[in-house]
Formats: sequence, structure tokens, C-alpha cells
Amino acid sequence: MMYAVLHPPNFFAQAATHQRPELRRRPFVVLDGEPPTEMVFAVNKAARSLGVEIGMTRLQAETCSEVIVLPRVIEDERTAYASLHHVACMFSPRIELVEERPGTYALDIHGMGLLYGDAGQLANKLRQSVMAEGFLVNIAVAENFHAAASLSCGRPGISIVLPGCEAHAIGQLPLTALHLTPEDEATFAVWGIRTCAELAALSETDLIARFGQSGKKLHSLACGTWPHLMFPMEPSFEASLVERMELDFPVEELERLLFLLSRMTTTLLERVRSKARAIAALRVVLHLDTKAQHERTVRPALPLQDTSTLLKLIQLDLETHPPSAAIVGLELHAQSATPYRAQHGLFLPQAPEPGQLEVMLARMRKLLGDERVGSPELTDDHRPNAFRMVPFEPPPPQQSERPSSSTPIALRVSRPPQMIGVTLVNHAPGWVFWGGAGYVVRQAAGPVRVSGHWWSEARWCREEWDVRLENGGAERLCRIAYDPRSRCWYVQGTYD
Amino acid sequence: MAAAHAIRLQIEAKLAQRVPAALTLKIKHAPELFATGVTAVDEMLGGGVPRGCITEISGAASTGKTSFALSTIASITQLSNACAWVDVSDALSPEAAAAAGVELRCLLWLRMSAERGKRVADKSWSRLEQALKATDLLLQTGGFGAIVLDMSDVLPEHARRIPLATWYRFRLAAEQARSALIFLTQSPCASSCASLALRCEPGEAVPFSSNGETPLFERRQYQLARERNRNESTHFMRRKPVQRVSWPAETLWSRVR
Repeated sequence: MMYAVLHPPNFFAQAATHQRPELRRRPFVVLDGEPPTEMVFAVNKAARSLGVEIGMTRLQAETCSEVIVLPRVIEDERTAYASLHHVACMFSPRIELVEERPGTYALDIHGMGLLYGDAGQLANKLRQSVMAEGFLVNIAVAENFHAAASLSCGRPGISIVLPGCEAHAIGQLPLTALHLTPEDEATFAVWGIRTCAELAALSETDLIARFGQSGKKLHSLACGTWPHLMFPMEPSFEASLVERMELDFPVEELERLLFLLSRMTTTLLERVRSKARAIAALRVVLHLDTKAQHERTVRPALPLQDTSTLLKLIQLDLETHPPSAAIVGLELHAQSATPYRAQHGLFLPQAPEPGQLEVMLARMRKLLGDERVGSPELTDDHRPNAFRMVPFEPPPPQQSERPSSSTPIALRVSRPPQMIGVTLVNHAPGWVFWGGAGYVVRQAAGPVRVSGHWWSEARWCREEWDVRLENGGAERLCRIAYDPRSRCWYVQGTYD
Repeated sequence: MAAAHAIRLQIEAKLAQRVPAALTLKIKHAPELFATGVTAVDEMLGGGVPRGCITEISGAASTGKTSFALSTIASITQLSNACAWVDVSDALSPEAAAAAGVELRCLLWLRMSAERGKRVADKSWSRLEQALKATDLLLQTGGFGAIVLDMSDVLPEHARRIPLATWYRFRLAAEQARSALIFLTQSPCASSCASLALRCEPGEAVPFSSNGETPLFERRQYQLARERNRNESTHFMRRKPVQRVSWPAETLWSRVR
């Protein structure tokens, strides 16, 4: 294994002036924190020569009139990271960000000789590429990861270490290059140990006796023999699940878009299938002629791997919620998930096929409306017949026994309640006039006074009666209610 | 006899491209039955409502159609079968469904609406047309144990306007999807397409109880008449007499008392 480590010295200062190179030669400081307690976060060489140090307050930094004060901009740092990352990716497919040293990247250059020549040539090309991006950078190439990292931090320019010479190469570096903890640095300072060679010369056993197991690590670091397990950065798979397309002229008809959406969905599915995954959600962003965006998300109940089903779902959703203007561009963002696998049983009841069910529900939503398709769910409310609609997701089939009980009488609810006329006889309904017909009340049970939400504007209150109505030979059993607020009678429903 | 057999084989071979097994009687298997949850009715029907067939339950208001249908759906959902309720009048009470024992998570409730179709739909569907379209989609999707098309509040003259071809299509689709298709209507409209035709009638009047100070509506007696059952074996050209059975139902609060 051969590592090339690139380290931009004073990374935060370089990042701050990356977009403004004219500031590089002038003294400047970068301040971080909330005003008025801002502190000096980064400082360049010119400012340091004027006596400005990291950790100073804004007031202290401003005492030097020549020093330019810059605020810390996280976005600039992200851009700088992205530039360095981009360059590093050009030289090796296996790169790792060295977390404890800002802006430092380690590249596994094993086998890259055919493309870039030997280690020296590669380091030169790498340095030139990074400098072309506007960063000053040190490069170190070594077989040991930590030795290369220490060298890149401690020695300017390019350093190439031959195999087996790591201890000699880093011997003259100060101990700070090893990135020790402040406590360890203080201890070594007391002992009079200043360089890596002096630390490597100490007996390993004696160091372990004084530092514990960390003593072994310190000694190996100084000798350039501490091993490292590389965790190469991998591009985020989810971030790659995006397809974009700009149209030459605005399109108004959805049918014409479907050709493009089909191609984009297929591409996304191929990408997702290569990782043995499925699409759990698809976000369609339509860029409109009016500079606005129309965004819809299709989220099937189960992750799908089928283009036609996904496309149908997108089509039905866009037909139900059409964009307000012509479309000039479209984006498709996918979210992947593990594919759904069901273990079917021979004796289990049949259930709708998930893909077909999803398309059918989308069609139903288009036909009836979002709120009118689904399963009812009873809500914890005192109001009779309180419920809400939830998406229809039947649980996996399983055998269960029904508790035996008598058959209850069902109420057919009138939505909304129908207004009726009622004549009272002895404080009870005697006649009911409903839908142009008069009914005699043969029997009445009530009143049942129900109310709720008396503490809010949405309060409700009514007196309910169960009545047996008769009109000629026809008989019907209803629940009627009197609303004292509106002083009206309503039919709540019919028992059937 | 042998000659007749040979001629039959010859004719069948000739017609095989156009009509397979033209002269061979098709053996029809008895359909699977779903219990209705009402013991007396199950005994009369020989097990319950047939799967893959149309069952038509007709009757006036307050004759127990909805209670009976909910009891049937409860039995079917308890077996973990997904069911659908196509509600033309948006009149289903989820509370009553839960009380009947329906697994609400297994029930797809489609509520027709008159207000729909202003913005997106290019045609203004009436509730009944919406319901027929929805039923068609459900049957095409398949996988549902039972589908209830609730037309209880649709006037008979409107229901009769539905072309007979629709019911024939539904019958074939239900057979292929192996779904029990149940119609709730005021008067029979599916005619010969319904394998099982039941008529709900008001039973003997049960007065409101008055044990306490105020009367209370507690129970009701319903009557169910079996008008047609195609799946029952009968003598050729002889129609089975109409059978009636009485079954009780009670209100939710009477269970508590």
C-alpha cells in the first residue's frame, strides 16, 4: 500500500480567501462566533508577523490597523473541500478525509503508476492540479499512512519516503506534527523531547510503563510504523438517484412528458437494481414557465422495482394535481429501500397484488378525491361516529378466530344531516316531515343529550331521539336530533 | 353407442379451434362459501354467501340489509381477506362496522361524492356512475375477498337504468377475481346475473323497552327471504320455494345493559 497525503497548510485561511486571491498577500484574520464574542479563528502569515494570534478577540485583532477582518463563511469552506475532493478523486478512486487535520486528504496510489508515473511524478502532478485550483499544498508519499500525514503537515513542498525509511524521514519533525493531545505534548516538553527521532529513541517498554497502552501508539507513530485501516470515501448512493432534464420549449400536455419520465424512471430503476434495492419514493419536480416549481411525491406502500407501475402512479398523481403552467424542466429524485419480499402460504387468504393495488388506489383517488379513499379509523372522541381516513394498507394475511357475539344494528349515517320538520306531542316527537312526506311517530326513545367541545368555538350539543316512523305501510327506524343552537331538527341516520 | 361417441369426437375435433369441447358438459364446481355470521341465515343458505358470484340483497329501509352485510364483511375480514365497501351515499358508519367486528384495516372504504369532478375530472360522474366505475376497478385489481356495492339509498328507478351488460360484466369479473360481489339495493336489479338473491323484510315489531324511566330502542327482529340460489342443486325445471328465516339484531348499548 502506498499513500499520498495532500495537506493545505492553514486551510481555513486559504478557504476564506479562495474566492478573493488579492487578499492573500495582505494580513487578514478570520473571525468566528456570535458578535460581540467573536474570536480569531484563522490567521495568515502576514498577520501573524504583526502579532495577531488565533484565539484573540475581535478588539485585540483590530488593534492592528493593517489587518483585514473577515467573517468565517461555512459555505466557502464547503466549496474548498469540494474542490480538493474533486482533485483527489482524479488521482485515485480510494481516498480518505483525514478528520483531525482540516482539508487533508489521503490517497491510496497503489497501482496508479501506469497512469501517473512513479511516486515523485504523481506527487508533482497532484500538487500542480491542486495549485491550479488555487490552493497551496504540501504532498507527502509514504508506505505508512501516519508518517505521510505527519510529513505533509510538517514539511513544505513534496516529500517522498522510500519504503522502510519512515522513521528517518519524520525524525526531524517536531512532535506537533504527530498531532498529539495537549497533555502528552506537555509531558514530552517537560521530559525535553522535542522531535520524533528523540521520541523514537526512547524505550517502548518504558513508555508503556508510563503512558499505558497509548505509549505504544506514540512510540509507533514516532517510528512511522503505526498501522492504519483505510476507510475510503464512497459517493452517497442516495445522492446519485437524481435525474434532470431541461426542455427546449415549454410543454403543457402531460402525455408528452411521460416519454421523458419513463426514460428517467428506467434509468433510476437500473441504478437502484444494481444495488439490489427498490424505489420507495419518487419526487417529481417540474420547473414551470412562470419560474415556479411544482413538486409532487409518489410514495407507494411498498418499495417497487417495476417501471410501468411507478410511471402509472406518477401519471395519475400529476393528472390529479396538474401543474399550473407549461413545463420547461423536470427533475426526478428517487429514494431507495430494500425490496419487499413476502412469504406466501398455501392456505393463507388471497390479497391484492401490491403494485396493482397501488395503481388502483391512485385511480380511485383521481376519481373520488384523496379524502374519500382509504380505511376508516375510529378516533378517540366523544362525538358519535367520529373517524378519520387512513391509507388502505391491509395487514399481512393471518388466520384468526372471530369472537362470537350478537349482530348489532347498523346505523346508516346521513352525511350531512338532513333537516326535517318535527311536531312535538307531550314534549316528544309526534309527527315528522321529511323529504315531502309526513310520518307518524309510532314509538320514540329519548332524549339523549350529548355535547362536547364546550370549551371551544367548535362546541356541539344536541338531543337525540330514536324513533319508529310510519307512512302508510312503510316503516323506518331513524335517529333524529334537535340542535338547540340552531333550533332545528335533523335526521342523523337510519337504522338498517 | 360407439358410433355416436365417434361422431361426437369428430364434431368436437372440427370445432376445437372455435368452441373447445363443444359437446362436453362443463362440470361446474360448487363455489366456496363465506359465512355470514348470522347462524340462522347460514343454515338456510347452506354455509353462507358464495365466492366468485353476485349476491343481491334487496329490501326497503330499516329491513336489516346493512346490518347483515356488515356481519358478512366482519366474518370475511376476520379471515384476513381484504374487503371493499363502495358507498354510493357515503352512509357507512365506521362505529357500526367496528361494532359488527369488521377489521377496519382490511376494509377499503370508497365514499362517492357529488361534489367531486369540478377541477380535474373531465366528466362529471354521478355517484352511481362513480360507484360502478370504482367496482369495475376493484374487480380488475382482484385479490379482494368481498366487494359490497351499497346502493341502498339509490331509488329503484335509477338502479334499473343500469344496463344489464354491466351486471354480466361484473359477474364474469367476480368469477375471475374470486370475489364475493354483494349488492345492497331497494329492489332487485341484477336479475339473472345474481347467483343468490335475498330479500330483506321487516320482522315482527319489537316495542322499545321501558325498564327504566325512559323507553330505549334495544333490539329488532329482521326477516330474510331467499328468492334464488343458483348454487343449490334442484330438480330440473323446478324452482325451489322461497325460504324465510328470522334473525335478531340488537343495538350497541343493549350489550352493555
